[in-house]
Amino acid sequence: MRLLPGGASKEAWAVEAEGERLLVRRAGGGVIHEDTLSLAHEFHVLEAALEAGVKVPRPVAYLAELGGREAFAMELVEGETIGRRIVRDPPPGLETELAEEVAKIHAIPPDRLPFLRAGDVLERFQHELDTVGEPHPAIEYGLWWLRQHRPEALDDVVSHGDFRIGNVVVSERGLEYLLDWEFAHLADPREDVSWPIVRAWRFGADDRRLGGVGEVGPYLERYAELTGRKIAESDLSWWEVLGNVKWATGCLTQCRRHLTGVDRSVEYAVLGRMAAEMEYELLDLVERHG
Amino acid sequence: MGDRPTASELIEAVLEFLSSELLPTLDDHRLKFRTLVAMNALAIARRELEASNTVLLGEEQAAALARRIRAGEPPDGALRLLKEDVAAKLRISNPAYLQKYE
Repeated sequence: MRLLPGGASKEAWAVEAEGERLLVRRAGGGVIHEDTLSLAHEFHVLEAALEAGVKVPRPVAYLAELGGREAFAMELVEGETIGRRIVRDPPPGLETELAEEVAKIHAIPPDRLPFLRAGDVLERFQHELDTVGEPHPAIEYGLWWLRQHRPEALDDVVSHGDFRIGNVVVSERGLEYLLDWEFAHLADPREDVSWPIVRAWRFGADDRRLGGVGEVGPYLERYAELTGRKIAESDLSWWEVLGNVKWATGCLTQCRRHLTGVDRSVEYAVLGRMAAEMEYELLDLVERHG
Repeated sequence: MGDRPTASELIEAVLEFLSSELLPTLDDHRLKFRTLVAMNALAIARRELEASNTVLLGEEQAAALARRIRAGEPPDGALRLLKEDVAAKLRISNPAYLQKYE
């Protein structure tokens, strides 16, 4: 049994039980991020995703009490998750595989997971930005522009919440597993669909707009074939600005975990200075969209 | 002016130690990654120490501008000004990032 490195809010243990290799996720002592699911809910989401045919590590058991904290066990999977390495040599067809996974998630009936939260996406990020306690007029400008240009909403669907390169396990065969379900919620389907297009998730491979691994066109075509939702690449402009607002704000709030002592880590600390990257990208996108 | 090494030279010495002595001994991916992150943090601190003018908008100006935008009244030229302000931050935190936009 060994403790894998990660945040203090949730522990991850690699365990061998009856010849099977498992990953046990257990609540940590720290404060849980306000928008993340409890481990019980995350376990239910994994079960629903597996039923829907999504490629997820198999959930094995939920343990309400493991040494005083809640936990669950799932299949321990292997493969590449590091974005920078995946974009160096992405397996062919990854863009359509990504579309297939997100289409299957979006087909999960919302009443299967009644605890998932919905809500106004702009209010959510404005509230998050207010918790930072530091002025960020560039992000405010992004939020202002988003309010001015808001598209007609599509009906909410079950959403992964962090669907991008970095949260998928990839091998030479292609996409193997989709990880990190703790941000699942109900949202406009374009929130998930656009998220891997955000520049930060291209990991430097900016010539391939979809997550540094492929083109957006075939991804949206496959998504439309499977869901009937025809989304044009230009429909994602608003969502791409939103994605940059989201990750700029996310960097700032994660940095506060370090600064306030909730979760001391040099990675979280540096995120505070990375927010400027998404700020510049969102301003540039807004300037180009007019 | 204090004795040498200066603060910047001290950071440089630590950076050199991490990259040429510590990093090559690490096998664990995760530890390697975190060491690179730590080196990046030091490089940012060093650039900030060496720069004479690091911010365009002071904290109060930024707060006032943020409030005006939140109220739905961004001043004329706000976008230009914000791009310059953020570019100044990036010249400290990640100068290479701006290249794509040139």
